[in-house]
Amino acid sequence: MAYNLKEAAKKPERLTGGHRLCAGCGAPVVVRQILRALKPEDHAVIGSATGCLEVSTFLYPYTAWKDSFIHNAFENSAASIAGAEAAYVAMKRKGKAKDETKFIAFGGDGGTYDIGLQALSGAMERGHDMLYVCYDNGAYMNTGIQRSSATPKYADTTTSPAGKKIPGKMQTRKDLTEIMANHHLPYVCQTAAIGNMKDLYEKAEKALYTKGATFMNVLAPCPRGWQYNTPDLMELNKLAVETCYWPLYEVIDGKYIINYKPKNKLPIRDFLKVQGRFKHLFKAGNEYMIEEIQAEVDKRWEALLKLAGEEA
Amino acid sequence: MGEKLLMKGNEVIAEAALRAGCKHYFGYPITPQTEIAHYMAKKMPEVDGVFVQAESEVAAINMVYGAAAAGARVLTSSSSPGISLKQEGISYIAGAELPCVIVNIVRCGPGLGGILPAQCDYFQAVKGGGHGDYKMVVLAPSSVQELYELTVDAFNIADKYRIVTMIMGDGILGQMMEAVEFRNQEEIIPADKSWATTGTEMKRDNNMVTSIYINPEMLEKHNQKLQAKYKQIEENETRVEVYNCENPDIIITAFGTVARIVKNVIKTAEKEGIKIGLIRPISLWPFPTQEFEKYAEVPKAFLSVELNAGQMVEDVKLAVNGKRPVHFYGRMGGMIPSQQEILDKVKEILK
Repeated sequence: MAYNLKEAAKKPERLTGGHRLCAGCGAPVVVRQILRALKPEDHAVIGSATGCLEVSTFLYPYTAWKDSFIHNAFENSAASIAGAEAAYVAMKRKGKAKDETKFIAFGGDGGTYDIGLQALSGAMERGHDMLYVCYDNGAYMNTGIQRSSATPKYADTTTSPAGKKIPGKMQTRKDLTEIMANHHLPYVCQTAAIGNMKDLYEKAEKALYTKGATFMNVLAPCPRGWQYNTPDLMELNKLAVETCYWPLYEVIDGKYIINYKPKNKLPIRDFLKVQGRFKHLFKAGNEYMIEEIQAEVDKRWEALLKLAGEEA
Repeated sequence: MGEKLLMKGNEVIAEAALRAGCKHYFGYPITPQTEIAHYMAKKMPEVDGVFVQAESEVAAINMVYGAAAAGARVLTSSSSPGISLKQEGISYIAGAELPCVIVNIVRCGPGLGGILPAQCDYFQAVKGGGHGDYKMVVLAPSSVQELYELTVDAFNIADKYRIVTMIMGDGILGQMMEAVEFRNQEEIIPADKSWATTGTEMKRDNNMVTSIYINPEMLEKHNQKLQAKYKQIEENETRVEVYNCENPDIIITAFGTVARIVKNVIKTAEKEGIKIGLIRPISLWPFPTQEFEKYAEVPKAFLSVELNAGQMVEDVKLAVNGKRPVHFYGRMGGMIPSQQEILDKVKEILK
């Protein structure tokens, strides 16, 4: 059935209200839309690494999750869900589990790009029938906005403070989606909550209902870390896509498909200037930083086009 | 003394390390100690030092291993779950006899637990959280001023004995703002680091930093050498505060933040005619056994008050050695005992 926002919105919420995530946070938007892609009759076992999502939705004795939920330490989300899935497979084989159960692990970029990469890689390589979702807000927001390997270059964070001695984060961001694509999984994608969230919904559906280990990297802006006005969340998502900072694409059995090519690719400064963490880039004498970021975005976008067999 | 400032405990630890000549910090975010990393991230570039945020605690402690092997004064900091992840590295560093300072701003466990204050890592710190027969010096400050002074001392102790020295506090100390008076000049005790792997320049034999000894005779010898060193540290580096212990009805023993609460209990109790003494171990290892032996027959009983299920009390019992009953009162999960609770417990024991 073709995607219809009104119809999708009628599906029951599986991450309910009452959680404590900030106004203007990208994470709950992403999670709710992904869970909407589950068939209502299917049960889910969801794991989350320590992070904003977990501490704000699962403060004992409360839970905002309608499905089974496992929390584990920062680096273990993929491993815990892999273990649960392995147990389920064995129970199914013995006839002890009847219903259809889906396994989903959530992690932020700190818990995925950095400390959890080992467990993620292991779970994906072993091919557990599970979906790993990274909600990427580009820093360790829960502990107070420390840089991660997903933080963009020159961003001001508490452990890459922009000042006289250093201009913010000194390194470019790791390309996790490519790392996962190179695990040769049946389904890998990069997406964001833009427009009517069709891209996010359809990718979640594919990722959930493709047999084997699948991976989604989803942009999830953070008003505190990125320093934007909270109602601008969806605008931030849109700018990330329209500037090709965060291209929407999927890799199905090794085949690259770019889901959206902006007709007029916006300059990266449009994305940067609405975020306080890049404020110093707009000071006189720092133009080189924006130019450098633009060159990096262009380079990565062209490389992606090439992978998808398309011309720039 | 010099400058007096109102500062947050975690920032004081970082400042103390810088003043003690530490120019290498490796860390990873975890509440409630991340301000140490924030402070270092800001200050290290200014002093031409090294701040590295690792990708995990395991990486951070092994960066410490590397820098310490090269002879640097090096610091890492974390909180309970992060310290658990560092245990492999700590054991290796202990085995390789490298000096370094580790800060543990303890939070309540087990597991993820919570971020509130606790002293539930006492066993892990003093009994060896990692594998093998090793010890590390564990210092337990009870004020922001002590966070400063003991952090400076920790670097000197680490260098002197080539040992891991841990500063163990909790979220109260780490997050609390208190006046701290800095000395104009720190005493940085020079240590022989001719063992460091700094390159031979073809002028000397290779130095080797390792914790692997395949030959059992050699490994036993290495262990005996470590044990002899630990004995020496027990003789030289034990620190304790003894307060109001002349002729008390009961001696309370407590460390860190709890000792501050106990001092107020002592005042209140005095008004009611109850005389309470306090033995506050400042070094948790080496444990001040001798002070307990000295006062073992002075009070009617001992009471250990801790933010855990009863950990230090085991060492108190060993030290008192059956000469007087040793009681325990503890709160867990981030709960802090009130003065009244402690006083009620004292009255119950003395009844």
